[in-house]
Amino acid sequence: MNALETVGKSTIEKVEYVGGLTVQFWRGLRSSWRANPITGNRLRWKSTVRQMAIVGVHALPVVCLISACTGLILALQAGAELRQFGALQFVINLVGVSMTRELGPLMTAVVVIGRSGSAFSAEIGTMVVTEEIDALRSMALDPVEFVLVPKYLAMMAMMPCLTIAADTAGILAGGIYTFYALDMSMNLYVQATLEVLLTRDIVSGLVKSIAFGTIIVHVGCFEGFIVRGGPEGVGRATTSAVVKSIFLVVLADLLFTAFFYFFWQ
Amino acid sequence: MSAGAESSVLASRDPAQPEPIISVQDLVVRYGDNTVLHGVNLDVLPGETMVILGGSGSGKSTMLRHIEALAKPASGRIFIKGVDVTRASEKELVEIRRIMGISFQSAAMFNSMTVGDNVALPLREHTKLAEPTIKLMTRMKLEQVGLGGVEDLFPSQLSGGMKKRASVARALAMDPEILMFDEPSAGLDPIIAAGIDELILHLKSAFKMTIIVVTHELESAFLIADRLCMLRKGTMIAVGTKDEIRNSGHPRIRQFLDRVADEAGEDQGAYLERLTER
Repeated sequence: MNALETVGKSTIEKVEYVGGLTVQFWRGLRSSWRANPITGNRLRWKSTVRQMAIVGVHALPVVCLISACTGLILALQAGAELRQFGALQFVINLVGVSMTRELGPLMTAVVVIGRSGSAFSAEIGTMVVTEEIDALRSMALDPVEFVLVPKYLAMMAMMPCLTIAADTAGILAGGIYTFYALDMSMNLYVQATLEVLLTRDIVSGLVKSIAFGTIIVHVGCFEGFIVRGGPEGVGRATTSAVVKSIFLVVLADLLFTAFFYFFWQ
Repeated sequence: MSAGAESSVLASRDPAQPEPIISVQDLVVRYGDNTVLHGVNLDVLPGETMVILGGSGSGKSTMLRHIEALAKPASGRIFIKGVDVTRASEKELVEIRRIMGISFQSAAMFNSMTVGDNVALPLREHTKLAEPTIKLMTRMKLEQVGLGGVEDLFPSQLSGGMKKRASVARALAMDPEILMFDEPSAGLDPIIAAGIDELILHLKSAFKMTIIVVTHELESAFLIADRLCMLRKGTMIAVGTKDEIRNSGHPRIRQFLDRVADEAGEDQGAYLERLTER
C-alpha cells in the first residue's frame, strides 16, 4: 500500500467517524426531545435517575478532591510568583477566575471521562458483542433512544452540578493558602472571591461543562456502538473513547475560550 | 431438487405454492473485500419451518441478520410479507420487526433487568397495556416455554438452556408471525438441546407460525424442519424437503451429512491468498 493510499484510507475513516458521530448526535437530540419530561412522552425516568447517580453523585467525592488539589496547586504556584511583586492578594482573583472559567469544568470533564466515558463504551461494546443491541433493534427499539438518551439526559443534568462543586472545592482549597500566606480568614477570602467573580465567569464555565458532557456521552457511546470482534474490541473501544474524549474536550475548551475571549468580554 | 456442480441450485418454485412470506432474492453481502453471501435466493412459505444448514463461516447467521433487517446487504432484496426490508424506511422496519421475533445464539438477555422485565420490554414499549396485564402476559409467555416462576430472577442466575428459553419467551411477547432461531442448541448439552427442539416443535404445532432455524446440528435440523436449505461458503447449494436433502447426491451435502472432514490441502490456494493479502 503506497503513502497516498494510506493517507486516503485514513482520511475516509476519519470522515466516516465524524459522519457517524454527527448522525448519532442528531438522533440523540431527536430522541432526547421525546424522552425528556418537558417536551416528550416516552419518559425514561428510571434509567435516567440511575445514570444521574452513577455519573453525578458517585463522582462527586473524587471531583471535589481533584479540584481541591488543583485549586491549592494553583494558589501555591501563583503565590510563589506574585509574592515577588508584592501582589499576593491577586491569588484570590487568579484562583477564582481560573477555577470557574477553566479548571473547574476541565477537571470535572477529565474525571467524568475516566469514570463514565470509558464505562459507556465498555457497557455498550459488551452489549454489541453479546447481541443485546441487535436484540433491541429486532424488537423495534432504537438503541440510541434506549441506551444513549438516559445517559445524555443524566449528563446534561449532572455536569453543571459537578462543575459547580468543582469550582467551590477548588476555590475553598485556594483559601487554605491565603489563610497561611496572607493571614486571611476563610470568611474574608470567600467574600473577596465573590467580589472578584463575574456572572460570565461562572456561566461560561457551565456552558463549557454542558458541551464537555455532550462530547463525553457521544464519543463514549459511539465507540461502544462501533465495536467489532470480541472482548478485545471492547478493550480497544474503551481506550479509544478516553483518548478521543480528552482530545475533543480540550479542543472544545479552546474553541469556547476563544469565543468568550472575542465575543463576551 | 437439483444437485450437481458445487454452485448448482435449486428447486424452482411450484406455481401452485402459496406466496412466500419471506423471499430472499440475489442477496450479496460483503464485509470489506470479503464476500460472505454470493447472490443467495430463498423462499420461505407461511407456516413452514425452514432450517438453514451449513458449516461454520458458511454465512447462515449473516443471512438471518439480513432477514431480520439488522444489516444492509451490498445488493439483492429481501421481501417480508411483500415489504422489501433492504429499502424500507425506519417506520416500515418498525412495523415489520413487530411481526418477527428472534432468539439469538447468545440469548442476548439484558443482564441489568430481571427475566420478567426482559420479556415485558416489547409489551411496555409498543403497547398501552396496563401493568397488571403486562405482568400476566409475561407469566404466560414464560410458562409457554416452560419457565414459570422465574420472572424475578436475573439472566445471570439462569442456566444456558433456561436463558435460551427465556429469549424465546421474549421473542414471543408480541405474538410474532415469524420466529427465528440462531443456533438454538449451540453450547447446550444433548438433553437441554432436545428440550429446545421440543419447544420449537410445540410452537410450530400450537401457533402455526413461520419458523426459521439456523443450525449445523443435523439431528435437530431433520427433526424440526419442513424444508431445509444448505449454505456453503456463502452459496446456496440446495433447498428441499427432508427426504430430498437426505437422499441428495451433491458431494458437499453428502460430505456434510456423512460428517466427512475436508481433505488435507484442499483449500491451500485460498489459505495462502488469505495469508498474503495484507
